[in-house]
Amino acid sequence: MRKTITCLAAVIAIVASLTYAKSSSITVKGSDTMVILSQRWAEAFMAKNPEMSIQVTGGGSGTGISALINGTTDVCNASRPMKSSEREKLKTRYNSLGIEIKSAIDGLAVYVHENCPVTELTLAQLKAIYTGKITNWKDVGGPDGKIILYGRENSSGTYVYFRDFVLEGQDYSAMMQSLPGTAAVVNAVAKDVMGIGYGGAAYAKGVRFVKVKKDAGSPGYEPNAESIKQGLYPITRFLYMYVRSRPTGEIKSFIDWVLSAEGQEIVSKVGYFPIR
Amino acid sequence: MKPRKSFRAVFSTVLCVGLASFVFSQDENSGASNGEMEKLQEKVSDLNGQLKGLEESYLETMGTVAKLNKIKVSGYVQAQYRMLMDSAGIMDATGKYAAPAGDFSGGKFSDGTRGLLHVRRGRFKIAYDNGLAQSAVQLDATEKGVGIKDAYLSFTDPWIKSVSLKTGLFDRPFGFEISYSSSSRESPERSRLFQTLFPGERDVGAQLQIAPNERMGMVSYLNLKGGLFNGVGIGVENDDHKDFIGRLGMAIPLTDINLAVDAGVSAYIGTVTNTDTTHASVVRNAANTADSIVNTRGYSYEMIAKAFKKSDDEGMLNKTYERQYLGGDIQIYYDVPVIGGFSFRGEYIQGKQPGTSSSSGFYNPGRNSTSGVYMRNFMGYYFMYVQNLGLKNQLIVKYDSYDPNTDVEGKDIGNTATTKLSTADLQYSTLGLGLVHYWDENVKVVAYYDMVSNEKAGFTAADGKEKYNDDLNDDVLTVRIQYKF
Repeated sequence: MRKTITCLAAVIAIVASLTYAKSSSITVKGSDTMVILSQRWAEAFMAKNPEMSIQVTGGGSGTGISALINGTTDVCNASRPMKSSEREKLKTRYNSLGIEIKSAIDGLAVYVHENCPVTELTLAQLKAIYTGKITNWKDVGGPDGKIILYGRENSSGTYVYFRDFVLEGQDYSAMMQSLPGTAAVVNAVAKDVMGIGYGGAAYAKGVRFVKVKKDAGSPGYEPNAESIKQGLYPITRFLYMYVRSRPTGEIKSFIDWVLSAEGQEIVSKVGYFPIR
Repeated sequence: MKPRKSFRAVFSTVLCVGLASFVFSQDENSGASNGEMEKLQEKVSDLNGQLKGLEESYLETMGTVAKLNKIKVSGYVQAQYRMLMDSAGIMDATGKYAAPAGDFSGGKFSDGTRGLLHVRRGRFKIAYDNGLAQSAVQLDATEKGVGIKDAYLSFTDPWIKSVSLKTGLFDRPFGFEISYSSSSRESPERSRLFQTLFPGERDVGAQLQIAPNERMGMVSYLNLKGGLFNGVGIGVENDDHKDFIGRLGMAIPLTDINLAVDAGVSAYIGTVTNTDTTHASVVRNAANTADSIVNTRGYSYEMIAKAFKKSDDEGMLNKTYERQYLGGDIQIYYDVPVIGGFSFRGEYIQGKQPGTSSSSGFYNPGRNSTSGVYMRNFMGYYFMYVQNLGLKNQLIVKYDSYDPNTDVEGKDIGNTATTKLSTADLQYSTLGLGLVHYWDENVKVVAYYDMVSNEKAGFTAADGKEKYNDDLNDDVLTVRIQYKF
């Protein structure tokens, strides 16, 4: 018995020493919305810390969270909060709820073609459009023509956030075309005069923002620095970084830097809004 | 070539050809003949057709992929080596065990064996998830054969997506450890308590689950599972009585302080039918001579004054006896700076359990059984501490205790002919120590040591069970490797 306990203690000591070996490489995976922002962060941080290596990949918030649970990434980027079912998996494997770090603010923009005459939509109208209850532009003050829906794939945090917040948990219309990345959504809408799409405000090129109204009696706002800071733009969300347990070592240094004035300046440059 | 790449390639070609034809048509002095123009136009038209064909093919492929995406295949294989640390005292010179060893640490050691390699679990699960309707079948394949573990279907309400109905063969909704997957559990086996009361964990039944979604605020911290089950485990029903099993749980995530507290209360309210027809009743005629023998008399035994007493009541065949468990469970999770997260889990259950003289386990008598029903009051609990050491390793300390008969102590268990008490009435406790190493996302290795202690009994020489008057040498070391997919 004593021998067994001694052996066990020795194994624990060896394991613990291997566990806490220092690493100078960080992997970051997750939200496609945050890929460009995260790459800019990584480039700037590596420039200041040449011994560090940070690898950034996308794939969607869901993919990033799965990677965090599976242990294949150190940091997960997510454009939506972690679901309780995902927290359960973290609890099961790591006995931790995961650590959530709010790293930026994003206004989730609604885009239409530059020639689309519709300039404003209420949240209720957006819900009706994306659940398939409104299918013609004339029902929201536009021309007589079928609305072509563009959206994200279901591994995307933007997909989940838009469904939970705008669609209030209801399912998207089966007619929505799911595209891999906000850039693809913007590109599709830019070519389709009957198209409508949603995604990060930072990506909007060649398309026009629709002003979003909380309800019919409220003023409409575009997602810009002023409307988001003042809490006027209705579809505003945090962009998150998640780690499995309280960050230490190089991961902590990186996250601290992201939240510093320098890191938050990059947030503004990329087109999002700083957390502080 | 992937459809999307083909699409792009053809699109580029069409663009180039189109551009070329445009430029060509602008240059009237180029000398191009009308015939060449027509050929080019034909080519463009042909490529356009191909493009449309590819687009259709791409959409069709996407549709097929979306359908296939609803099929989920998962499973795991656990191969292990187990060793009985010391068989002295329980194995005779011929290699025969005088007392079962290792039966709650992964399976009883066969006579003559102290160490063995075996497949503990070989699970393969296939599920189809259509959003609001799911179905799944899970098999367990080991060197002992193939058995069914799960076969169920489940529907979720389409409105608030919080109420679901599940029916088929699946985990009984009681406590925490039953539904905690064997592939995730840190200790190789469930506590003796659960292995005794819920062998196989599953039963056939219909269950309603209410799990409010996250949009419902604080209410989403609560969840309720409850249903009616056959009450026979993975087996065939043998009476018309159904058992109720349910759990009301809560899960409170305090993310700001990296703490989570989950807890629940559970109840099992069921019955066991007495099918004992061994003890026939003799019907006598007016002359007081035996007229006929009828199998209408089952026996039952109650604990009175530290011994089982046979009931004198007549006609107990098909009478039902209460099987009632009440339990509480708690799980606390906290992230310790630098070291990693830990969890503390505990469960307590007490109740009434019908069994036989030689077993306090989950009793499922077939028709015309050869044993009366022995009623016991039982109590059991376990607590477990799991500490993550970084991201790849875990340290485990687990203690469990199960007292199958709370009306007697060890020293009372003896003189079997009179008391009808047996080794099935002895309390056992197990202290387990272990280490888990996660090699990668699929593979984990577990080393676990079970220190098993039994209550010291008071058997006499006539009982032939004197080995139980001391703690048996039945500690077990398990080294397991698991691959999960």
